[in-house]
Amino acid sequence: MKRLLCTLALAALASAPLRAASDDEVNARKLALEIAGAFSNDGFKLRDGNWCGKLEAGKPALIQVNLYAGNQYWFTLGATEAAKKVAVTVFDENGKPMSTDPYADTSVAAAGFAPTSSGPYYIKIEVTEGAPAAFCLIYSYR
Amino acid sequence: MIPTFRILASGLAAVCLCASAAGEATPLTPEEIAGAARTDELSIPMPGEFMATLNKLGKIDWTKMFRAPIATNYTSRPQMALNLGGLIADGYVAIEAEDSPQIKNIGKDILALAKTLGVSKDVIERGASIANFASQSQWDQLREEMEATQNEVKAGMAERKDSDLVTLVTVGGWLRATEVMSGYLTKNYTEPGAKLLRQPGIVAFLNKRLDKLSEKAQADPSVVVVRKKMGEIEKFIAFPPDKAPSAGDVKQLNTLAIEVVKEIIKKQTK
Repeated sequence: MKRLLCTLALAALASAPLRAASDDEVNARKLALEIAGAFSNDGFKLRDGNWCGKLEAGKPALIQVNLYAGNQYWFTLGATEAAKKVAVTVFDENGKPMSTDPYADTSVAAAGFAPTSSGPYYIKIEVTEGAPAAFCLIYSYR
Repeated sequence: MIPTFRILASGLAAVCLCASAAGEATPLTPEEIAGAARTDELSIPMPGEFMATLNKLGKIDWTKMFRAPIATNYTSRPQMALNLGGLIADGYVAIEAEDSPQIKNIGKDILALAKTLGVSKDVIERGASIANFASQSQWDQLREEMEATQNEVKAGMAERKDSDLVTLVTVGGWLRATEVMSGYLTKNYTEPGAKLLRQPGIVAFLNKRLDKLSEKAQADPSVVVVRKKMGEIEKFIAFPPDKAPSAGDVKQLNTLAIEVVKEIIKKQTK
């Protein structure tokens, strides 16, 4: 497990997103990867891509993803320690909240989701307690 | 829904496993939906995700989806970028087929095109890793490596302020993956399988990106064909979630995808 986390952390540092990530964003991604690493042990394949930036409490951010029915997904959010509590919520293409398996531990959170229809979905991420923080969202599938 | 998670989560310290979030969240407004971010890196699924769901429908002989090697010495940069994306999609097919020699050959072709596009130094090490993982039959690592290669190629293009090429790599990969998937579903039609082709969000996203290409890129013959065909393709993958496209619709989609990929790989005459 340690070896896997080390590999994932190195991958986080070596990865090259389309814009340069700040140190805080790299740290947020490392946190997300620690959780996603556990899902990888369970057969989930980690996507190399990520969505990083800054979040403030009360100002959630939303991203569209395109998912396939039959697959299972984990959306994992890592934030720097200024965020004391974060959340991940999944919505369908009409904006209806979806039932998910939630996981939360201070500045990391994840939502497990198995869509029954293929198509666009929206992932809402938010800092529910704490100061503005850098975040990074990643996802895994199987 | 994903029972193993509860076992897994129990091993993590200080975990808060709450009730499902669905009941607590407020629905999104149309304005929130319209303002959602859409990025190349997360909003566009990788071919591996489609293949993962297709694999659940039954045992698939992925070697049947291989195509003959394509040229790597095009003169048009937009065409090279489209083909680079297509080769990455081919890489995923070869990984699903667990065919090491094919993966290595595709890896070499990816490097050759990346070199001509001036981004090879960003991916040379990835090429070596692809060959090593293929030799050792490390398929999961190969999937990650293939996506990382694509991301690094795009990052190299972005650094060189070549956002047109970034878009075209994405579009080329998506079109080749659509050709492969619709080809499989044409020959093995089922309603649940056909429903997987539903991707209205992706086509809308890619079409917006294509509309933002520079005039020079938009004038490239391969891009002209792609933009025209994307409009036609959209009709076949933007169906309602509860309705499966007919076998005829899937075949038409496949025909469109074959035509556009054929144009992408065809060498342009001056």
